[in-house]
Amino acid sequence: MNIFRTALLLAKKDLYSELKTKQIMVTQIIFAGLVIVVFSFAFDPANNTTKAVIPGVIWVIIVFAGILGLNRSFISEQRNDTMQGLLVAPMEAASIYLGKFLANFTMMMIVELVSIPFLFLLFDFKFYGSLPYFILVVFLGSFGFIAIGTFLAALAANSKSSEMLLPLLLFPITTPILIGVVQATRIILTNMEMFSSAVAWIQLVTAYDVIFFVVCFLLIDYVLEV
Amino acid sequence: MGFEFMYGAYSVAWVVIFSYMLILGKRHTKLKKEIEFLKQLEK
Amino acid sequence: MSMNLEREKAVLPGTQLTVKNSLDLSKILFGATVISMLAALYFIFIFAAEEVTMGAAQKIFYFHVSSAWLAFMAFFVTFVFSILFLIKRKRIFDTYAYISAEIGVVFTIIVLTTGPIWAKSSWNTWWVWEPRLITTLILFFIYIAYIMIRQMDGVWDKKARLAAVFGIIGFADVPIVFFAIRWWQTKFHPIVFGEGPSQKGGGIEGTMLVALFVSLAAFTILYSYLLHKGVSFEKMKLKVEQYKEKLREDLEK
Repeated sequence: MNIFRTALLLAKKDLYSELKTKQIMVTQIIFAGLVIVVFSFAFDPANNTTKAVIPGVIWVIIVFAGILGLNRSFISEQRNDTMQGLLVAPMEAASIYLGKFLANFTMMMIVELVSIPFLFLLFDFKFYGSLPYFILVVFLGSFGFIAIGTFLAALAANSKSSEMLLPLLLFPITTPILIGVVQATRIILTNMEMFSSAVAWIQLVTAYDVIFFVVCFLLIDYVLEV
Repeated sequence: MGFEFMYGAYSVAWVVIFSYMLILGKRHTKLKKEIEFLKQLEK
Repeated sequence: MSMNLEREKAVLPGTQLTVKNSLDLSKILFGATVISMLAALYFIFIFAAEEVTMGAAQKIFYFHVSSAWLAFMAFFVTFVFSILFLIKRKRIFDTYAYISAEIGVVFTIIVLTTGPIWAKSSWNTWWVWEPRLITTLILFFIYIAYIMIRQMDGVWDKKARLAAVFGIIGFADVPIVFFAIRWWQTKFHPIVFGEGPSQKGGGIEGTMLVALFVSLAAFTILYSYLLHKGVSFEKMKLKVEQYKEKLREDLEK
């Protein structure tokens, strides 16, 4: 499938350039760490009721660190004027979207892999729930977030104040993911008896992921028009 | 019984509607001035 | 530079005629708005019976629900015209989408202000975590984002295209937001207050229903008036710009 090959090519290019400098990923990880520290000032980690806040905090750090990465994904193209090159290349807009998405998603997963254990460490969170389901929820939530995030980053990149515009566009649209994923994480981490509700939330997030991934795929041509 | 709330809510709603119409009116007068100016230029 | 691309000769005598036609429609719509609003107020305050438990404050419901309905209508119109614009690329579609979104934001503000006032009067709390109210709040932010896209720097067709795409995504998101919030609220915090302020329970009385329909009609006419006024206004602005371009060109000769 030509789309996948070109998309993988683009993703590899982005990831290689990122791995050389490690600039953005390191910034994301440090930022996530700082947010965790700020949260530990805001909510007392020793207190038991703080445990209830942990699911929300996980997703706050994912969202904020994610925005940093998403901003970069198209800004670097603008700054180096390589955007035209991408559009003129013999690849469809859809593969540009797919490639950027794969790169962003990979980076997001790496950042999450580092920051979530750090969060559990700092808050001394005893992991009661089931690990596989937790990983599934994090995977699905990040998938949807990065999918719509990459799309909106492409949209916002057209503006001079794109870094301010992207959060404005992204936060309202991703509210269903955030609600679903925080609820599911809460149930999986603390309260496994209500597991059926967690499954329902996971279904909601999956539906969102599928719907918006397809919609973004269809509409990306209009966004990346010359 | 709750009259203050009712009056409050309705006044708020009308204030919003009227302020929007005021904004529209301001745009209108600005445009009218421009048109007048252009008409003068034409002469 | 792109302004020159849409330069056309502004035919001034011709525009006089069309201005007159739209003036008539504008006057008709304005008159209809005033009449229907007065009728609605009569129906709300005099015709409809007063609710037993909530008293006079319940009357807020008529304007609140009508505004909510019109806010969603306005955004649906934006959605439709966004799609039309992406397909046909005519500027008038984009104008309708934008003006409709603006009016939608106005109605959303009415919903978000009358809502808390009603909540304060009935449940003594300024904010209710009720699905429709929260969805309206998210809707508000989505359409503020839509308007921010149009404040972007650049040529009109790029802004219009991007805004249209966002309009489609935003509107597609709304049902999902609504269901997510409803699930969130009912699964873990069952609605304690019975039917909730926005859900018309089975027990709505006849006179109240009539008053609701009248105020709904009044708001719809208000929406049409504002839409028509806004769009004819944008059209005038465009013509003035074109005329200015023509003048600029003449001056350079």
